[in-house]
Amino acid sequence: MKILVVEDEIKLQETIVEFLEKEKMIVETADNYQQALDKIISFDYDCILLDMMLPDGDGMSLLKELKNLHKETSVIILSAKDSVDDKVEGLLVGADDYLAKPFHFAELLARIKVALRKNLQKGEDVLSYKNIQIFPEDRLVKVNNIELKLNRKEYDLLYYFMLRPERVFQKTTLAESVWGDHIELSDNLDFIYSQIKNLRKKMKEANSEADLQAVYGIGYKLI
Amino acid sequence: MKISLKNYTFRYLTFWLLIVIAIWAFLFHSLILDEVYDNVDDGLKNQKIEIIREAYRDPNLLNTTEFGLSQFKISKVDPSKYDERNHFSNELVYMGYDDDMEPYRILRTGFYDKENHPYSLEIRTSTVEEDELIYDLSISLIALYVFILISILLINHFGLKKAFKPFGQIISQLRKYEVGNNEKPKLVETNVKEFSYLQKEIERMINRNDEVFNSQKLFIENASHELQTPLTIALNKLDLLIENSDLKEKEVMSLVETKQTLWRMVNLNKSLLMLSRIENNQYKNNVEVNFTALTKDLIEDYEEILEAEEIKLETNFKADFILDFNIDLARILISNLIRNAIKHNNDEKIIKIESDSNQFIISNTGKNATLDSNLIFSRFYKQGTSDGNNGLGLSIVDTIIKNQQNLTLRYNYEFPFHQFILKK
Repeated sequence: MKILVVEDEIKLQETIVEFLEKEKMIVETADNYQQALDKIISFDYDCILLDMMLPDGDGMSLLKELKNLHKETSVIILSAKDSVDDKVEGLLVGADDYLAKPFHFAELLARIKVALRKNLQKGEDVLSYKNIQIFPEDRLVKVNNIELKLNRKEYDLLYYFMLRPERVFQKTTLAESVWGDHIELSDNLDFIYSQIKNLRKKMKEANSEADLQAVYGIGYKLI
Repeated sequence: MKISLKNYTFRYLTFWLLIVIAIWAFLFHSLILDEVYDNVDDGLKNQKIEIIREAYRDPNLLNTTEFGLSQFKISKVDPSKYDERNHFSNELVYMGYDDDMEPYRILRTGFYDKENHPYSLEIRTSTVEEDELIYDLSISLIALYVFILISILLINHFGLKKAFKPFGQIISQLRKYEVGNNEKPKLVETNVKEFSYLQKEIERMINRNDEVFNSQKLFIENASHELQTPLTIALNKLDLLIENSDLKEKEVMSLVETKQTLWRMVNLNKSLLMLSRIENNQYKNNVEVNFTALTKDLIEDYEEILEAEEIKLETNFKADFILDFNIDLARILISNLIRNAIKHNNDEKIIKIESDSNQFIISNTGKNATLDSNLIFSRFYKQGTSDGNNGLGLSIVDTIIKNQQNLTLRYNYEFPFHQFILKK
């Protein structure tokens, strides 16, 4: 998967690149409007991460340019603005998603996967780990090819784990990603624990080979 | 005590007019009196000439030694005491006919008869009528004084009322004005110089205030914006670092804590940005929002948290609370109220949400005392030392309400519940 990161803040660009490369993606970068435009014209990308405020132009016109070129590239806007108008305009002009800065990498990855999905053939898009399969299109989970019924939040949790198996998810990341920014409400984040517990129980009952493991003081991982 | 300008001027005028009119009356009175005596004296002098002439013709007249009908008397004098000059004086003379003293004007002079004997002549004339004139004059002056006062009162009442109409309009415009509100006071038409000065100065002051307010708002906005990128970098770097499996558990934990702290800053930033966005009226599209249905949706999000906190949620939706509102703002409004109820709950751990078609109430158990409703909505006001609390939740609620005309929010404490009541 080839991804273009258009971001003028070099430090941020570097961290995004580092993260995405770890996720086995091919990443290219552009620091400004002109560079980004050149690369968009010359190459095909599966996904573009686009910062709205660039030193020599704005992301919105880049989006329009992209439409004119009739490229079937998914675009995720990364913006520090997080305003409704911006979001609406971006989506109208043809962006696939809008992610406000700052974001969790897990969240970014999930969004990229969703954005990429639309360019894939249906059915191709399956996440699998051990004997678990997730079909994001239908929000369907199968263990050993038998459907596993999960509620909305359990599904979301499992989906995040399946995106990056064997990686530790911090409790705050999970809380933010699944419940929105509610972490400020609860210092102990116990509610995540009970959700994870339920999810584990269901997975076990379905004879899943994978299990959720607690990493003391940090979070959970799928192994 | 404060009095109106109308009464203020009237009070002053009443006092000073009295003095001015008194002085004027005194001068006028003296002048008239002078004129009256002058007239009387002329008459007396004329009489004197006629008496002397008559005395020459008819020496019998020289024997008029007492005042009679003719109101004069002639008496012989010693040549040494003879005085030919005219002496006028006012005297009170006893009059038998009405048993009283009457004012008289008296002329004393002297003359020689045909035989060159010196005589003194005294002529008098009653000035009763002249005194009455002065009396009438005084009455007229008092009447004039009262009349002038009444006129001033009326002119003040109607004239000033008309003249001060723009003033009242300016005041009511100012009453409606609020700093940061885009609605500026309308200019009031006036051709009174003072009012247009006042208006000009108020306008300048308002513009200055708005400028300061806007630049401060912009500053907060920009600061919040500019913080997002460095925060993103810091958070993402920490993410990468935490994923680096070489680190020891303890190190990872402290990185995770650092990350959580940074997220608090992110949330604070987001709240500040949201406040300025609401104030900038960036949430515009109003649609029919069913607050009750929206709440049912939102409650689902909080289920796990409520469960973890062991808070009991009681709902009593008698009817749907429906209102034209911005859907995003409604969501923010309700969830901030719910969060507030969760955050400030106590050991009783009850939250009640009620709605009917006219009002929507969220109540929670909490600190057993009425809260100061002026404080709880102010920014960064915190109760207790809850870690995740940025003190902006209720001020966001307050800002939303202030920017919407069709909804009011009231805080009420009814043991053991703190109630937040939304009303149409």
